[in-house]
Amino acid sequence: MLKVSLQFGASTENLPIIRHFVQTHLRPKVSSSVLLNQITVAIEELCANSILHGNAEDPKKQLRLDLRLQGDTLHIYLYDPAPPYDLHAYPAEPTLLRAGTDRPGGFGIYLIRRLIDKIDVRRRRGGSSVYHMVKHLSHESSP
Amino acid sequence: MQIEVLPSSNHTALHLALTGELDALTAPKLYENLNRLLQQHPNIRKIILNCRRLTYLSSAGAGILLMSIDNLSPKGISLELQEVLPEVYNILDLLGLTKLMPVTHA
Repeated sequence: MLKVSLQFGASTENLPIIRHFVQTHLRPKVSSSVLLNQITVAIEELCANSILHGNAEDPKKQLRLDLRLQGDTLHIYLYDPAPPYDLHAYPAEPTLLRAGTDRPGGFGIYLIRRLIDKIDVRRRRGGSSVYHMVKHLSHESSP
Repeated sequence: MQIEVLPSSNHTALHLALTGELDALTAPKLYENLNRLLQQHPNIRKIILNCRRLTYLSSAGAGILLMSIDNLSPKGISLELQEVLPEVYNILDLLGLTKLMPVTHA
């Protein structure tokens, strides 16, 4: 069973560190480079949303990423000091996301939904939040 | 991420090579560079991005590519990705971008 954690400040400068952390620990467990990349993208999207939107890129705000692998089921937890956002308040189709796009990004939640088997969020005491994603490593997402 | 202008015999096509990772940190740099290069080369009709050394693409990177398509199309300029690695192609495909522009595998 794999059980590792990474604490990081809310800065996009930390995105490469998050990717390196994920790939270093999961590469020995995931045989497909495409699947490993899908998991990395989903985790980075979740972290980027919290960094950019939840915490307004304030590096003093500390987040924690936990990876737990039980059998072939990967549990991903992101502890975020910001309040949770509504994961279902985004259009389901990328063509809808495209309309009115006037800035980088906008596909993050869509990608997470496509790449991850399950995601939920709950508010913690004090108003912070914890996001929980589940990915079965036998399941590679395809278009 | 690094952006390199490749030599081209076609004066209406701009060939660029991307190296590294295209994420929320680096995507704005690509957009700024594309806009600067467009001003320097006002006669181009096609931008070709060689992605053989582009090892990672996040939604922010995909968003920049989409913004570029939206900005270039009204000017009659097309955008094309060549030699895209399987990991990056998979993300482009999931987002539907492979239907919006020519994308070839590595």
